[in-house]
Amino acid sequence: MRSLLAMAALRRHGARTVLAVLGVAVAAAMLLCMVMLSAGLRESFRELLLSRGFQLRLSPRGTLPFDTEATITGATEISRVLRTLPDVTTVSAVLGGQLHVERGGESITSFALGVNPAAQGDYELLSGRDALAPDAMVVNDAFLEATGVQVGDTLDVAAGYNPQLRSYSGERRLVVSGRARFLYLAAGQSAVALRIGTLQAMTGRARNDEVSLFMLRLKDGADVEAVRRWIQGHVPRVDAISTAEAMQRVDERLSYFRQLGFILGAVSLIVGFLLVTTLVTVSVNERVGEIAVMRAMGISRAHVVQQILLEGLAISLAGAVMGLGLGLVTARYLNSILSAFPGLPAAIDFFLFQPRSAWTALGLLVIVGIAAGIYPSWRAATLPIATALHEEAVA
Amino acid sequence: MLLTALPLLFALQAQVRTIAIGADLAADAGIRVGDTVVVSARPGGGTEAAGAGAEGLAGRAVDTVVVSAIVERRADPSEIARNDYRVRLHLDQLQHLIGYGDRVDRFAVGTVDSAATERALGAINDAAFGFQAYRSRDIAAETSTTFEVVSRFHRAIGVITIVASAVFLLCILLLKVEERRRDVGALRLIGLSRWTVFRSVVIEAAFVSVLGSGLGVAVGWITSAAVNAYYQAFYRTPLRFSIVTGDIVLFSVLLSLALGVVAGALAALRLVRTAPLTLIGR
Repeated sequence: MRSLLAMAALRRHGARTVLAVLGVAVAAAMLLCMVMLSAGLRESFRELLLSRGFQLRLSPRGTLPFDTEATITGATEISRVLRTLPDVTTVSAVLGGQLHVERGGESITSFALGVNPAAQGDYELLSGRDALAPDAMVVNDAFLEATGVQVGDTLDVAAGYNPQLRSYSGERRLVVSGRARFLYLAAGQSAVALRIGTLQAMTGRARNDEVSLFMLRLKDGADVEAVRRWIQGHVPRVDAISTAEAMQRVDERLSYFRQLGFILGAVSLIVGFLLVTTLVTVSVNERVGEIAVMRAMGISRAHVVQQILLEGLAISLAGAVMGLGLGLVTARYLNSILSAFPGLPAAIDFFLFQPRSAWTALGLLVIVGIAAGIYPSWRAATLPIATALHEEAVA
Repeated sequence: MLLTALPLLFALQAQVRTIAIGADLAADAGIRVGDTVVVSARPGGGTEAAGAGAEGLAGRAVDTVVVSAIVERRADPSEIARNDYRVRLHLDQLQHLIGYGDRVDRFAVGTVDSAATERALGAINDAAFGFQAYRSRDIAAETSTTFEVVSRFHRAIGVITIVASAVFLLCILLLKVEERRRDVGALRLIGLSRWTVFRSVVIEAAFVSVLGSGLGVAVGWITSAAVNAYYQAFYRTPLRFSIVTGDIVLFSVLLSLALGVVAGALAALRLVRTAPLTLIGR
């Protein structure tokens, strides 16, 4: 009965109800986007970091992985020490650099990763063979497109460019053995991976036995923080960064988006609240006589309150359902804008849909819908029946 | 790069060089002007290199210097998210420290005007061996992708906000007009024309919109100040994150006015199309 009366009240002013639902839908869409933005970036980054099962990363002290050109010297000795730790199952050393390929009279520069193919966590092989041989490399689609080569082709590549002498420190003839997707690189960034020894020799990094990064995979159930602390205390040249800490550092750098999400989400809720409150309050003001008659007939205060709360809730729910669909479309559009962020891995999504996001947005809107009905229902419940009936009769 | 602050008074000799450090580093490390510190070119390698005689393969690995100045960070958007500490050294001092020899990363060349810039650019690129000259504005365009992306994102959010505001405004004005059905019915019955009623509603809507946008500008200005205060403290930068310019105020007021007039006109049309007796409930 209460629902029926609430729906009848909303239908009586169809245009304004539709507008209010539309307003709530836009606010709900914005809210969903912002909930997705707040949690999505963090979750997406966590999934990316853990996608290959490496829980710890060791970068040159004071830096983040590949944040600068700093390297860790004496890599073989550090690697040996790390392998003695009982909780460590895999140690993957990575060296970053640049490779140059001469094609059609111009030099094409590509990001290069020196890895141990048997224990690497930087790429997924899509086709062909891994770069197991010292003269082999795997490349991504951007590289294939830029150079026009195919898997199986042989290329003359160079590293360690000296701009003053216009010379390279190392030149090799390498075979493109496979095609891969690099997990941590930005979309469209040309990249190759080859054996770390080959890249060290080409870039002149072999002399000091330098690497850019170590990645460690630990045993199931191992205490990551305890291993991290041990490394931090015993290997002075590196910063040991756990997944949680890496996420915290990324959070610090991209906190702007999280805060923006929080602020705009709060604004959306306030707008939705004001809209529903205004609409239901005006609706109650217009029905003062009707409510007074209902009360005079013996309808309880609780009944009136519930009916008005239901009106607010119905607008909020209808708007929320529309808004969730609209929000998913908007989030995809906004994500396409932010995915052009330079240097960010292509696998990172700013707006990541999770059922939890939708439930959170829906739950908040239900709360707002109920809260929006409190003031008008209080007005209706405390209406002086005799005075209201008298005024209505005079009017 | 900077390892530790040391109270090494004996190191204050005539040949000790000076450096300037960023205010954030000074605050975090508790360093003051006049303090003696040890700097190293290798992360975490200072003590090790010092023990090995302070001469590494890349040149002098460590150096003892005096902090002669503490400098504020520049308002450079490209440095915002990095939160890196900054140390300024004399060129030869840094070259020596990192074993760079007589090499530099880049030269900045000042010119008298844009024509001279073009001439210098051509001359350098024709004659120079091993490096390339660029216009500052080209480099700025190349490195501003981040801000273009953020700017596009803000524009998209702005469009969504405008759509939400438009619906909100239309809804409120519709309610406002609906509330006055009886008044308008009475006015129509005493002889006021539809056009007069329409105009009065639209003018009222325009007035409400301008008043609301004025209030919005005030709220925006206060919010902008709060945003600047928060992010300047958060990122330790003098950069202004949010600015309220005359153009922005004008755009906001005009947009609000346009939305208000359209919403008012739509609401008024509903009103004037209804018979006066219906409006007063008869």
